[in-house]
Amino acid sequence: MLKLIKLVLAICVSFVFFNTSANAGGHYTGPDLSGQKITISGPWLAPEDGYMREIAAIFEKATGATVEYGGSDSFEQQIVIDIKAGSPADIAIFPQPGLAADMAAIGGLSPLSNDVKKAVLDNYAAGQSWVDLATYPDQNGNDQFYAIFYKVNVKSLVWYSPDNFADNGYEIPDSMEELIALTRQMAADGNTPWCIGLGSGDATGWPATDWMEDIMLRTHDPSVYDMWVSNEMPFNDPRVLEAMNFFGTFALNDKYVNGGSKAVATTDFRDSPNGLFTSPAECMMHRQASFIPAFFPEGVEAGVDYDFFYFPAYSTKDLGKPVLGGGTLFAATNDNQATMEFLKFLLHPEPNEWWMAKGGFLTPNKNADLSKYSSDTFRKLGEVLTNATTFRFDGSDLMPGAIGAGSFWTGMVDYTNGKSAKDVADAIQASWDAIK
Amino acid sequence: MKKNLLSSFLAQFLLLVFVIVWIIPTFGLFVSSFRDKDLLAISGWWTSLITTQVNEIHRTVNMESQIQENNIYIIKENIFVKNSKKKISSFGITSKNINQFLVKETATLKDGSKLTVYENGDYIWKSQKPFKNKKGRRIFITASSPPKFTFDNYKEVLFKEGVGQAFLNTLTVAIPSTIIPLIICSFFAYALSWMKFFGRDTLLALIIASLVVPLQMSLIPLLSFYNDIGALFNISSKSYPGVWLAHTGFGLASTTFLLRNFIKSLPHEMMEAAKVDGATHYDIFLKIILPLSIPAFASIFILQFLWVWNDLLVGLVFLDQVPSEIIITAKLRELLGSRGENWEILTTGAFVSMTVPLLIFFLLQRYFIRGLVAGSVKG
Amino acid sequence: MTIFSIIFYVSIGILLCILYFHLSNLLFDFFSKKYSNESSLRAFIFIAPAFIILLIYILYPVVETVRLSFFDKYGRDFVGISNYIWAIKDPEFKRGILNNLGWLLIVPTLSTFFGLVIANLADRIWWGTIAKSIIFMPMAISFVGAGVIWKFVYDYRGPGDQQIGFLNAIIVSLGFEPQAWITIPIWNNLFLMAIMIWIQTGLAMVIFSAALRGVPKEMLEAARIDGASELKIFTSIIIPYLNQTILVIWTIITIVVLKIFDIILAMTNGQWQTEVLANLMFDWMFRGGGDSGRGSVFAIVIMVAVVPIMILNIYRHKQEEKI
Repeated sequence: MLKLIKLVLAICVSFVFFNTSANAGGHYTGPDLSGQKITISGPWLAPEDGYMREIAAIFEKATGATVEYGGSDSFEQQIVIDIKAGSPADIAIFPQPGLAADMAAIGGLSPLSNDVKKAVLDNYAAGQSWVDLATYPDQNGNDQFYAIFYKVNVKSLVWYSPDNFADNGYEIPDSMEELIALTRQMAADGNTPWCIGLGSGDATGWPATDWMEDIMLRTHDPSVYDMWVSNEMPFNDPRVLEAMNFFGTFALNDKYVNGGSKAVATTDFRDSPNGLFTSPAECMMHRQASFIPAFFPEGVEAGVDYDFFYFPAYSTKDLGKPVLGGGTLFAATNDNQATMEFLKFLLHPEPNEWWMAKGGFLTPNKNADLSKYSSDTFRKLGEVLTNATTFRFDGSDLMPGAIGAGSFWTGMVDYTNGKSAKDVADAIQASWDAIK
Repeated sequence: MKKNLLSSFLAQFLLLVFVIVWIIPTFGLFVSSFRDKDLLAISGWWTSLITTQVNEIHRTVNMESQIQENNIYIIKENIFVKNSKKKISSFGITSKNINQFLVKETATLKDGSKLTVYENGDYIWKSQKPFKNKKGRRIFITASSPPKFTFDNYKEVLFKEGVGQAFLNTLTVAIPSTIIPLIICSFFAYALSWMKFFGRDTLLALIIASLVVPLQMSLIPLLSFYNDIGALFNISSKSYPGVWLAHTGFGLASTTFLLRNFIKSLPHEMMEAAKVDGATHYDIFLKIILPLSIPAFASIFILQFLWVWNDLLVGLVFLDQVPSEIIITAKLRELLGSRGENWEILTTGAFVSMTVPLLIFFLLQRYFIRGLVAGSVKG
Repeated sequence: MTIFSIIFYVSIGILLCILYFHLSNLLFDFFSKKYSNESSLRAFIFIAPAFIILLIYILYPVVETVRLSFFDKYGRDFVGISNYIWAIKDPEFKRGILNNLGWLLIVPTLSTFFGLVIANLADRIWWGTIAKSIIFMPMAISFVGAGVIWKFVYDYRGPGDQQIGFLNAIIVSLGFEPQAWITIPIWNNLFLMAIMIWIQTGLAMVIFSAALRGVPKEMLEAARIDGASELKIFTSIIIPYLNQTILVIWTIITIVVLKIFDIILAMTNGQWQTEVLANLMFDWMFRGGGDSGRGSVFAIVIMVAVVPIMILNIYRHKQEEKI
């Protein structure tokens, strides 16, 4: 008897729950795709694979198609083998554009239709940037639009402790000029403005490449950034040297950086933000991507112990609000109705809002309801993304591996260790020439 | 006599210096692996027996916990979450001056409220007006923290960081990678020392030559060979059997060489006699050579086992770096990369990885040394 | 993987190996009763597995590496000696060679020297065995483990902070500025070498210890009666007597050092100008898609450097066999 009551109660509760969730937000409705099946392969493992399957379930429910997701941590090797062997899944989730471009060049991807492209242009903040990042030459050398971004992250952020700012009477800077002035002010007050750590084991140096990229976007037109990333403009161009030296004004000044410039390359990037939370504070600000709170000390709370602001642009330069970031791309590896519909589905607010509520997810989709974000911090992160006038993908990820995951990293380490910007840039360019 | 005493004293002193220099790095690691991680992060291991001064930031509770007494609003709590042995000496209310007040002194805040902090972490915060703070107010304390030793680091490393699994993986790699070459090399060494066949001397020269072939050289060709085989049978090119064979290949030359030197030195009259009795080479090998070679086997076993256990490169290249396959040295390297300055993880991880070699070393030192000496004096 | 499946895997692997030898020999016994020709076919059974493994794991890679070094990064197109030409011009290659040379000069020399001194001291002191145990212990530790140990010793904190690295703590207590030891170019190589010396001295010591027992006691006593100082005995009797052993140890450590890789990978990953040939090879093989052609060039250079030692070894072995 008791069991029966429990059962009835459970059904009632789930019914109520169902109803409320059904009433919230716009619903995706798709064509009837009953009997069709699509497979997706990607790099996501637990917990993200579970989320991906739930997203797929929304699609299954609306269309009647079946969707299967398989994750692998050697996805990047696996997809190459699968595409070359001619047996890929229907949709591949690429962690970075470079690999997708490679696959497009060997004819492994199916181009997306013009309405999908238009939907991205219309619905994504900085839509043109997202389209450009997913447009590659096919095997015949013709540019085609191949992929849509879903689940992205933002790098142009500065993390700080609101209490420390309040104690010292510091204001959040709105422009690069103000940020530079604030840095000077902090040093003059006897505080250390920045925590910078480049250590990352094998990958030591990469945080400095993010700095460089953010600075490039704030000092020059995005087209200059693109030329730099593709090496149409040599690495030792004066504009690159200028950006490197600008990074140097922070990182090489013993008064501006925690532990002095000597500590920059030896401090691990995961440990470097700890200086925000020490007593007394070892530094006031830390520039790092949206994933960094995962490495903050145990027990610190978003919005209470830490917060962030947008790494600002120059007010005197007319470059808008550039945002540097990364993200995963969904590309079709087979051309069929259900596959194309699934990609359109990802542009709908519903799958975006669903994952926003789970956390760890940002979207440039302007139609997604910001109130769906799991916390204020994510909501503000999402705003940085939707306010962006220019979006650029992490440049070092777009460079050839020997540079973007090699000489650029080591070069930046050498730079913080006292080598001149000119020598560093010459060496990186030489290594680029050597692989051409 | 006096001169002798002096020189003996000098000798003892010199040796003591060597011993201290040699032991300190390992000893520091050992001590650190048992220290509380917060203390480890801010003080050297040599201070682990004395009280350490720590600076911490704590938050008061928020307005919901206030009580009202005689028109005065009071928040009363303890700073520490659980019973702490820390003793507070001074405190502050702004990051600009973290030890402005001694304990029991009363700090007056901007809004006129008054805050007092006591040695054991109790604090009282009084105000004329009701508290309206949504988040707790920061209190900066300077406290002395008594020495603290713990097994938490080991728990964390073994079960959460995956070092325990890596430890098992390494065993899975190391045991067959030691026994298989031992079996194969014993037949090989026997054949090289007691059987006559075409090209024996050339083969021996080849083995001595391969003793010095750099391991790194083999990696690219072998990996692509493995990939081809993997693609052919549609299996993963990285697997345990692949690593066993790789270690067998790389260890075979030295194990064969050591064992051959030993078998060669056995009295051959015994074998001649057995042969006259009609024993085959297989009989001789099983019944005479094998039992006699046990001490040599022990030495070779230890050398090969330690070599495999401590190897990084082969495990890095021929196994996938996933939790179910990663070996302990590769895990340790990964931790060096990913846990940067979390020394409690690194020191403990390193110590876990050293347990087996050190155990073998202290229990079987004799065989270990014998193997090394045999290998070098001849090699 | 559970412990059971591990045990299962391991036993299967070992069993297969034993089965091969046992069954093939039984089969052979069975047939050889019919056609009696013991030796050469039996020898074949005995050596076949070892021979095949050596062929695949040593011989084939050597040949293949040589071939790859003349091909492009995918190993597909023949590019002549352009990989070698690239290497000669590459500044990192040059630095790798110089660093390797530094390691080759310093580590074997100091390890041998310390080993000899310690062996000599320890044999005359009652607690010498314990001392030897302690100094020998690093031999049992992996290079990566040693890397962690020493990284902890070299740890660097900013000048204002409490140092937790032992070396910087000493430096600071003597009133100097703390240093980020492993980032100071050129000098950092010495700090990495110290780790290798720390490990290899134990090896030199035990071998010397064994060899020292062979020094004729009468010679030493005669010298002592003549009033020779211990230092004099050490330099004019013991060292000449151990001539051969010194050479052997020096060679062994040289071979180990030539292949040095793990320590640098764990400590600096070749940054701050500490790269050696083996690390450069590893980088070119696996970083950013890999280039097997250039990687192979580094392997060949290491190989060529080992050849003289290899020839010396074979020659010495032949000499010994004759006696």
